[in-house]
Amino acid sequence: MNVHEGTVRRPAATRRAGRLAVAGVAVIALAACGGGTEAGGGDGEDDGGTVTLQFIHPEVAGSFDPLIEAYEASHPGVRIEATNVPFDQLQSTLQSRLSQGDSSIDVYTVDPSRIPGIVAREQLLDISDLMDQAEEATIPSSLEPNVVDGKLWSLPIWTSEQYLYYNPTLLEQAGITPPSKDPAQRWTWEQVVEAARQAQAAGAEHGLLIEQINRYYQLQPLAESLGGGPGLSGDDLLTPDLTNDGWVRAMTWFRDIHESGVAPRGIAPDQMGPLFAAGKAAFYVGGPWVIPGWKAENAAFGIAPHPYFADGEPATPTDSWSWGISPHSEHVEEAKEFLEWAALTTEGSLATIEKIFIPPTNAEAFDEYMGRLDASVPGVTEGAGDLMLHELENTAVHRPPSLGYIQFEEMMVNVFEDIRNGSDPEERLSKAEEELESAFSRLR
Amino acid sequence: MSGPVSMSDTRTSTIPAGTSAGERRGRTRRAAGPARPKRIRSRQLATALLYLSPALLAIVFLRLAPAVSAVVASFQESGLTGGSGWAGLENYRFLFGDPGFVNTIVVTVLFNLVVNPATVVLSLGLALLLSQRLPAAGLWRALVFAPAAVPVAVSGVIWSVVYQPDGLANGLLTALGLPEQPFLTSAGQAPPSVMVTVLWVAVGYWMIFLIAGLQDIPRTYYEAAQIDGASAWQRFRYVTLPLLRRPLAFVLVANTVGNFLIFAPIQILTNGGPEGATNLIMYDIYQQAYRIGDVNLAQAEVVLLMLVMLVVVGVQFRLLGSKEGR
Repeated sequence: MNVHEGTVRRPAATRRAGRLAVAGVAVIALAACGGGTEAGGGDGEDDGGTVTLQFIHPEVAGSFDPLIEAYEASHPGVRIEATNVPFDQLQSTLQSRLSQGDSSIDVYTVDPSRIPGIVAREQLLDISDLMDQAEEATIPSSLEPNVVDGKLWSLPIWTSEQYLYYNPTLLEQAGITPPSKDPAQRWTWEQVVEAARQAQAAGAEHGLLIEQINRYYQLQPLAESLGGGPGLSGDDLLTPDLTNDGWVRAMTWFRDIHESGVAPRGIAPDQMGPLFAAGKAAFYVGGPWVIPGWKAENAAFGIAPHPYFADGEPATPTDSWSWGISPHSEHVEEAKEFLEWAALTTEGSLATIEKIFIPPTNAEAFDEYMGRLDASVPGVTEGAGDLMLHELENTAVHRPPSLGYIQFEEMMVNVFEDIRNGSDPEERLSKAEEELESAFSRLR
Repeated sequence: MSGPVSMSDTRTSTIPAGTSAGERRGRTRRAAGPARPKRIRSRQLATALLYLSPALLAIVFLRLAPAVSAVVASFQESGLTGGSGWAGLENYRFLFGDPGFVNTIVVTVLFNLVVNPATVVLSLGLALLLSQRLPAAGLWRALVFAPAAVPVAVSGVIWSVVYQPDGLANGLLTALGLPEQPFLTSAGQAPPSVMVTVLWVAVGYWMIFLIAGLQDIPRTYYEAAQIDGASAWQRFRYVTLPLLRRPLAFVLVANTVGNFLIFAPIQILTNGGPEGATNLIMYDIYQQAYRIGDVNLAQAEVVLLMLVMLVVVGVQFRLLGSKEGR
C-alpha cells in the first residue's frame, strides 16, 4: 500500500467491489425508472396497432371465452384479455388497483348496489351517452341501479332470481308432497322448515341449505318479507334500521334454523351447491346457475318458488353484475364499444351466458334464455322461465342504492355469520347499528 | 499460514521492513498526530456510503418512504366521498371513538399477551428437550420445524379443515366420546383456536434459534455447576437462562413483531369473527383499506400500529438488556 499525503489508493479488490456497488446502485435506480417505462409500455397497444382491453371478472377462468372469441372475430383491431379474480377477493383487488390509478384495467364487473360508493370514489367512467340505447335494449328496472345522480355509470349484463329447490327422493322418503311451481301456492318458510325437519328425521343429513348463507343479497328478502325493509332508511339511506321488528324476527328465525340443526353451521357458500347435488339436503335456496352443473351430475332436484313468511309478503333477491369502465383506462372508446356489444346487442348478450346459466338483461337475449331455461332439464325445469318472470315482476327487491352500501354489506357478512353461529339477534343487530352509525359518520 | 515464531516477529515496531522513509514518516505522524487529513476521511466516507448505498436505498424506498407516506396520508381526508384535503387529527379522533376499532385494539393486545409468552415458553421447552441426547433427535427437530417450512396461508387452510364442524378435530373428539366443539364459530373458542394455528407455525421456527443459542453455551459451565452440586433446575436458572438471554431477546422481539402483523390465518379461519373476537389489527387495516376503501383511515391505523410496536419492542429490549448491563 502506498500512502501519500492526501492520497489513498485502494487495492484492486476494493476498487472492483466499489464498481460493483456503483453498478448495484445503478441497477436499483434503473429499476426504479424502469417501473415507469414498463407501465408506459403497458398501454395495451401491440406493434401491429391492435388494442388489448383488460377485463376483470369474478367468474371461473374461461367463462367468457365464447364472448371474447365472437367479439374479436367481429372487431379485428381489438383483443380482450380476461382475468378472473375470485369473488371474495374481487372487491379488494379492484379497490386496491383502481384507487392507485391503475390504467391496466379497462372494463370490470360491478355489483350494482355498490355503484353509488364506487362513483363517490371516482372509480367509474360516466357513460351516459349510452343511456338511450340502454333503456331501449334492457329489461325494465335492470338499468335503475346503474344510474346515480341522473348519470349512467355501468351497463347491466345479467339479472337474477332465486328458487326453492328440493330433493324429490328425500321428500318422498319422508312422505312429503313436493311444493308446486305455481307462485300462488308458494310455500312459507315455516312449511319449508317443517318439511326439512321431517326429511332429516327420515334420513336427510341437512334440512335446508341457503346458497349465499352470509350475504346480504340472499338474506335481505327474509327481513323484507316481514316488513323490515332493507335495513337502511332516510332519504340518503344512511340511517341504520336493523332493530325493527321485521329484522329481529327474520334474524331470530335465521338463528333458530341453525341452532336446531335444520341448516348447518360452518359451511361456506361455495360448498352448498355440491352438498345438495350429492343428495345431502332436502331443500336448497339458490339461483338458476346451479342447474347445468346439477344436470351434468344427474342430481335429483325439483323447482318451486322462493318461500316467504306466513304473516309476511313474498320477497325475492334480484340483480346481478353490471360492467363498467375504469376512468383510468387508456382505451375508453374501445372499452365502451365492447361494453355496448356485450350488454346491448342480442348476440353479445347471449355470448355472455354461453358458459354461465344466468338471465341476461338484454331484452331479446332474456327471451331466448327463458326458452333455454324451460328446456334445460326435461321433466324438471318446464315453467321455470315463467316463474322467473313472475318473480322479477312481482317479488324482486333491489338492494338499497346507498353511498354507504359498501360498508353496510361488508358489515352484514359478519352480522349474518355471528347470528348463524348463535349470537342473540337483537343484541347483534343493535351492535351492528352502532357500528354502522360510526362508519356512516365518515360519509356525511 | 502460520509458522514458528522468529525473532523478527517479536519486534515491537509496527512498521514493516522495506517500508519507505516517507511512508514511515507518514505513519509515525498519524500515530502521534491528532487525526487523518480531512480529504482522506471524506474519501473513505464516500467509499463506505457507496458500499452501503444499495442497503440504504432499500431502507429509504422500501421502509422509510412508505412509513412517511402512511403518516402523511393518515392526516388527510377520507377518499370515501371524493375528498383529498388535510384532515388534521380527524382520522385518529374517529378511530378512538369507533367501538369497532377499540374492540380491535383490545383483541390484538390480549392475543399478543397470550401468544407471545406461550411461543417463547414452548419454543424454549422444545429446544431444551431436543438438545438432549435423544434417539433420532434430528428427526424430531425436523418434524417440529416442518410447519415453519409450510407457507402460512397453507397452514391456515390445513387448520380450517381441522376445525370444520365435521373436520378432524371434532372427528377425534367424537371418537373419544367427547362432544363436538364450535372451534371457529364461538367467540370464546375462536381466539384460542387461532392461537393454536399460530403456535403450530411459530414454535418450531423459533426453537431452531434457541437450539443454536443452547449449543453456544460452553459445556464447561455445566460441568463446573455440576461439580458444585447444582441441581438441574439450578443449572437451568443460573447457567442456561443468563447465557441464553440474547437469543431469547431476539426470539421475543421478532416473534412479537410477527404476531402484531398476523393476517393470513385470520382471513382464512375467521374473517375477524365471531363477534369481532379475532379481529386483529392487521386484518382490520386490510378491511378498511381494501374492502371498505378508506385508505386514509387504514393509514392512521398503520401509524398507530407502528407506534405501539416501537413501544413494545423498546420495552422488551430494555427489560432483557437491563441485567446484562449490570
